Amino acid sequence: MKEQFQHKLTTSFFLWFDNFLLTKGEAFSNKTGDFFYYSDDRLDATYKAYGSPYKQWVTDSSITGATVPSGVYIGGNFSGRDDGVVLDFDNGRALVSGSSTDLTITGSFAVKDFNVYMTNDTEEDLVVENKYTVNSRLPSAPYNYISPYDDVVPAVFIASSDSRNSPFALGGMQDTQVTMKAVVLAEDPYQLDGVLSIFMDSAEECINPIPMTGYPTTELGDLKNNTYNYVNKRNEYSDEIKFYINGVTTSRLSDRDRKSLAHDLYVGFIDFDVQQHRYRFN
Amino acid sequence: MAKLPLDVQQALQRQAPRLLKNKFKKEVDKKFKTIKSEMVKEFLQLPVTQELMQGPNAPNISGTLGGVTNLFAFIGFDKGDQPVMPIIQLLENTSIQFNKELKQAGNIGISYNVNLPTAEQIFALTPMPWAVGRSWAKGIETGISGLGYLLRKNSRGRSGSAIQSRVKVRGGKFKNTAYISSFINKYKKKFKELK
Repeated sequence: MKEQFQHKLTTSFFLWFDNFLLTKGEAFSNKTGDFFYYSDDRLDATYKAYGSPYKQWVTDSSITGATVPSGVYIGGNFSGRDDGVVLDFDNGRALVSGSSTDLTITGSFAVKDFNVYMTNDTEEDLVVENKYTVNSRLPSAPYNYISPYDDVVPAVFIASSDSRNSPFALGGMQDTQVTMKAVVLAEDPYQLDGVLSIFMDSAEECINPIPMTGYPTTELGDLKNNTYNYVNKRNEYSDEIKFYINGVTTSRLSDRDRKSLAHDLYVGFIDFDVQQHRYRFN
Repeated sequence: MAKLPLDVQQALQRQAPRLLKNKFKKEVDKKFKTIKSEMVKEFLQLPVTQELMQGPNAPNISGTLGGVTNLFAFIGFDKGDQPVMPIIQLLENTSIQFNKELKQAGNIGISYNVNLPTAEQIFALTPMPWAVGRSWAKGIETGISGLGYLLRKNSRGRSGSAIQSRVKVRGGKFKNTAYISSFINKYKKKFKELK
């Protein structure tokens, strides 16, 4: 199936959300440290996985001050993509070509304060039923790798909710309205307040539509063309009809209800009313 | 038909609004009160309102949950809560304010404003019991997750017996339905047509 409106909205919204949080909140921290070997059955024999203690490194080089890595140090020598190193930004690790499992690897990277995920899970799954590994951004030795693939917190889970079309103008133009919902799982009230406050102020923002091909990472989690800059990517599509954030509602799980949860996380909700005037099937 | 002399027409135009003001006011006020009373009565009869007013033991007469549990428990209200009261209060506070007499040619009467609450005002007064900021009334129209239900179940069912359902109730079970927005639009139109 070819790309539809909803696909484009999901990609565009996700990339915008990530950039907005990192830009407005400077919600990242630069780290330098060791990488640890672990076996990963999902990888083919070409690569060995060396994980950092943090998931979801910053991929976006438009974020001022964030260290976007282009390689790691193996035995003190820099090795980049040309040397067979793949950087898996999503899982926070380096995939190194060869069979060695005892390499000494270090590296520098910026890690997001909040991991950002697109999800199909319901709110009740996200808040009540799912179990999460807390991947705290505050350093606490002894360091070790963080297991790949599973979602970790602090995190924001984004999902598309209801959508509707209503006639807007002669000629068949529609007023398309979509509710995008975000569930925020934070380690402390400061983090939660920060995210809710940033996105409360995102009302009236415009989001450039970016097609799925504009998604920055490959199947191994590394950057397509070795670089990604949200501002440049957004500008490639500046002539298209933008998505408009018509309204934002933020709320938090009441303290009474938070105490009934199996975890100690602070929970918040952000509901975005996104609007675009468009013709059907475009 | 014979036409009134111009000076008589002008005199009528000048004097009639003032002389008829009280009569118009009385008539419009009477019609306003009738519509307002009809509005409150209709709101109380809406299936969602009825179901919520019956509390934790109500059947799912709104059909929003396919007959499994009911809105009161699903949203996560506590036993004794009266979630629709703030809406009834707002509707009861609907008032009419008379302004000046109309003085444009061809119009005899008095202008007025009806202070009917907006859907947004109602949404602001109807917070989810577990997340202030989100409106359950808006959720009836756009969708509600099963989070409130699960939270209450985890905290030993403060909503009462309805929470003890053995069926796993999830957000996907909820079928949204028209409620506040269409209701307010309907009466906004009715009040606009007051004559």
